[in-house]
Amino acid sequence: MKQILVIAEIFAGQIRPITWELVAAAHKIKNSPSLKQLSPAIHIIVPANDPAPLSEKIAKQTGIDVIGLQIPELQTYTSEIYLCCLEQLMRGNPQISDSYQNVFLSKSKKTTCKALIKKINPSHILIAHSSQGQDFAPGLALGLKAAAISGVNGIRSDENGLIYSRPVFNNTQNLVVRPASNRPVVLTLMPGIFKLMLEKEGKPGRVDIRKSPFTPETCGKERVRHRETVRKTCENKALKKANIIVAAGRGIKEKEDLKSVFKFAQYFPTAAVGASRPLIDMGWLGYQHQVGMTGATVAPKLYIACGISGSSQHLAGIKDADFVVSINKNPQAPIFRHSDVCITADIVEFIKTFLNCSGDGHKDTANGANVATPTSRGTQLSPSRA
Amino acid sequence: MEILVCIKQVGDEGETNRFDVHALEESLGLKDQLNAQLLESVSVDVVTVGPDKASKIIRRAFGLGADRGYHIVTEDPEYISSFITASRLAAVAKKRPYDLILTGIMSTDMMAGQTGPMLAKILGLPCATGVIKTSLPTNDNLIEIERELENGFRDCLTIQMPAVLTIQAGINTPRYPRLSKMLAASQKEIKIFKEADLFPEPIETNEIYIGLEQPEKTRSGQVLKGSLSDKAEQLFVWLKEKDLI
Repeated sequence: MKQILVIAEIFAGQIRPITWELVAAAHKIKNSPSLKQLSPAIHIIVPANDPAPLSEKIAKQTGIDVIGLQIPELQTYTSEIYLCCLEQLMRGNPQISDSYQNVFLSKSKKTTCKALIKKINPSHILIAHSSQGQDFAPGLALGLKAAAISGVNGIRSDENGLIYSRPVFNNTQNLVVRPASNRPVVLTLMPGIFKLMLEKEGKPGRVDIRKSPFTPETCGKERVRHRETVRKTCENKALKKANIIVAAGRGIKEKEDLKSVFKFAQYFPTAAVGASRPLIDMGWLGYQHQVGMTGATVAPKLYIACGISGSSQHLAGIKDADFVVSINKNPQAPIFRHSDVCITADIVEFIKTFLNCSGDGHKDTANGANVATPTSRGTQLSPSRA
Repeated sequence: MEILVCIKQVGDEGETNRFDVHALEESLGLKDQLNAQLLESVSVDVVTVGPDKASKIIRRAFGLGADRGYHIVTEDPEYISSFITASRLAAVAKKRPYDLILTGIMSTDMMAGQTGPMLAKILGLPCATGVIKTSLPTNDNLIEIERELENGFRDCLTIQMPAVLTIQAGINTPRYPRLSKMLAASQKEIKIFKEADLFPEPIETNEIYIGLEQPEKTRSGQVLKGSLSDKAEQLFVWLKEKDLI
């Protein structure tokens, strides 16, 4: 019997929440028409130096059986160690699987079992479409001679079984594919698509701890050596706590035009200015303004996207906003599919018109230094880095 | 030192995938720095997979300073498995002792982000994806890089060459072609490989194309109509209704 395997995403010793989304997708796959009769088991793999505490937690929260993959001396993720340990574990070779020594947990025997499955032989392997998942999933798929589908944003069935959609062409369309027959498939799942209700009272899953015969030392440590993880010294707290975010994207053609976005933001009592990645890459605004998966993930009451086309990375960063208003010249911009209000217009022209006709009789000043409106409390906003 | 850059033609205007432009710039930057220090001579080669017209991006790369260009000519259907692309690139990458192989983190059309790590796997090389900073390689064939994670974090890694790096936007500011180099570029030879010569047996695909579709809406998507001021007015009313102003 083949299994659906979820690889938990662990960062800095913590379970990243996308892990729950992967479990939700695993349930969806398990309950699909083509697999429902077979009812394949779902297992969550937790790679860590000391996987027991994390595994217990995951088993409790999901009710799913967990294989804690103990990789001795694993300090932090590297592609080499993950590829080596996971590929060997999943090859479906019992001899190799057996070499992953079973470890008993003395303290929590209730939830610990000797061997959940004799032979690990997955049909589906679910991995986060994150910086970590994208780094090792393609190599893992190749190692397992599996199909590889990345950035999955939809799972459904047709008459031949499960099919998967993923964004293409700058996020304007979805490509639908299926794995070639009889191959396992490695899926990386886009964050924010699948939702899991965590088990509050349910029976916890069992935990099976396996010690990997491989360590960083024996798995290409010298090929990819992790020195340290650093964080860019910047504060994006303003974005994180803002009620309203007015954000600029590549639709802003001239750096000069950023001023009108700042003026627009000033119209709102407690607004912060955000930006999509290209403006940060071009150095027009500092990193503290960047919204999206590699910048700040935000949840304001209102998000106004000014000239932002809507990459998956950006959309994943704003999905928890209460309302999204988008202004874009291109009526085909992907962001319009993910907006409450869609305005097709030139961004600078629109802001000018809006401020003119909604200023409550207030006349826009020529230099834009003072756009106090009856509702504006004049938050300090100015473009960083002239 | 020899560097290979894998580039792809995308879009209606047949431009170079923008992440590959950054990969090429990073390679040319390394070449400039190492050559300037007279440390060693560095060559930067480019390779692409695609139809005849894709040779245009190799010419452009010559104009930027690339030394040799390889073109694997294919006429593909609408979908090509990343594994097939990686296999084709590997066939060319094996022809010289490349120390570094760079490519974009993904293409803007297929957006899979798989080609680089799959190429590394086929060649048995270490790989880092989403590279946002590189430094000059050391004498013992190590290169220090930073790869971008979520929320402003970066992993600082030391990688043993030969290696494959996939390059994230924001790592550099790409240069423009030089007229002198452009003129020379038109004379340069592009080495053409035919699919059938490299692969007598077709490479088996791992995924089967079903079709393209419009993505689903996740929000209501009320479209404001009328003149600019009509739209502004309607937005004002909507914001009032929602108690946002």
